[in-house]
Amino acid sequence: MAKKTMTLNLTDAEMEVLEALCEQKQMSKTLLMRQALRLYQRVEERLEAGGKLFIEDGSTKEKSEIMML
Amino acid sequence: MSKKENLDISEVYLLDNHAGTVVEAELWDAITEKNLADWEADWIPHLFELLKSLKQKGVERRLWPQSRHWHWSDKVKAIEGKLSNQCFSIVCDGNTQALMITDLMRRAQLDAQKNSHLVYMDYLEVAPWNRGELIGRSPKYSGAGSILIRAAIELSKQEGFRGRIGLHSLPQSNDFYANKVGMTDLGSDENYQNLRYFEMTPEQADEFVMKGEDL
Repeated sequence: MAKKTMTLNLTDAEMEVLEALCEQKQMSKTLLMRQALRLYQRVEERLEAGGKLFIEDGSTKEKSEIMML
Repeated sequence: MSKKENLDISEVYLLDNHAGTVVEAELWDAITEKNLADWEADWIPHLFELLKSLKQKGVERRLWPQSRHWHWSDKVKAIEGKLSNQCFSIVCDGNTQALMITDLMRRAQLDAQKNSHLVYMDYLEVAPWNRGELIGRSPKYSGAGSILIRAAIELSKQEGFRGRIGLHSLPQSNDFYANKVGMTDLGSDENYQNLRYFEMTPEQADEFVMKGEDL
């Protein structure tokens, strides 16, 4: 599939987070940003359809809602 | 790899069991209108005849093809425009031989790779005439399922997931994924119709690709 190139301007703090995630996930910046975009699209679709986003604690099963703008 | 109408097409090979020869086929990185037309005009009538034959032979419904209710047009429509899904198809002799939809948003469950990204194989089906275990005779083409698993592994590597893949298996395919493909069986998933969940590590993926020609 054809790909296009873009320049991304990030603050130092944002770049640090990006690099830390790349290290943690053993992924390149490009691949990590693509994965983030997929996640963002999926979450937005669910929210637009009236869904809510929750994080469930693995042990207590307690759910906390994530508020999205 | 070649391109046609925004498709990436890779040359692959299937075994033509009737002719006893290896034949060229195409792996497409999409499910197109042509594939859906093949499914509707060729797969469904073939499947219908197969079901009639099974009924006439008195075969219990639980032994009928468990993917018989899959509606590929609906499945493709449901993921239209979604970045998290990647489709594949195999075309040979002018007809679609297998279809697959993958999901890139799932996480691994095996302890050794827990929460790591993987390519989840949402749906994989080969054409009814290629399912020897169902038609009771030699399938027209062999190898389509293995090619799609290799495509999922390759996609996983391209996306930085190192070859990790996962899937829920229909009961009729459990033996294939456990013993021929060499995936780890994590048992029945009560959150997914009690289907068995299988997962592949990067090491298992490399092993599968290495032995691929024998499958």
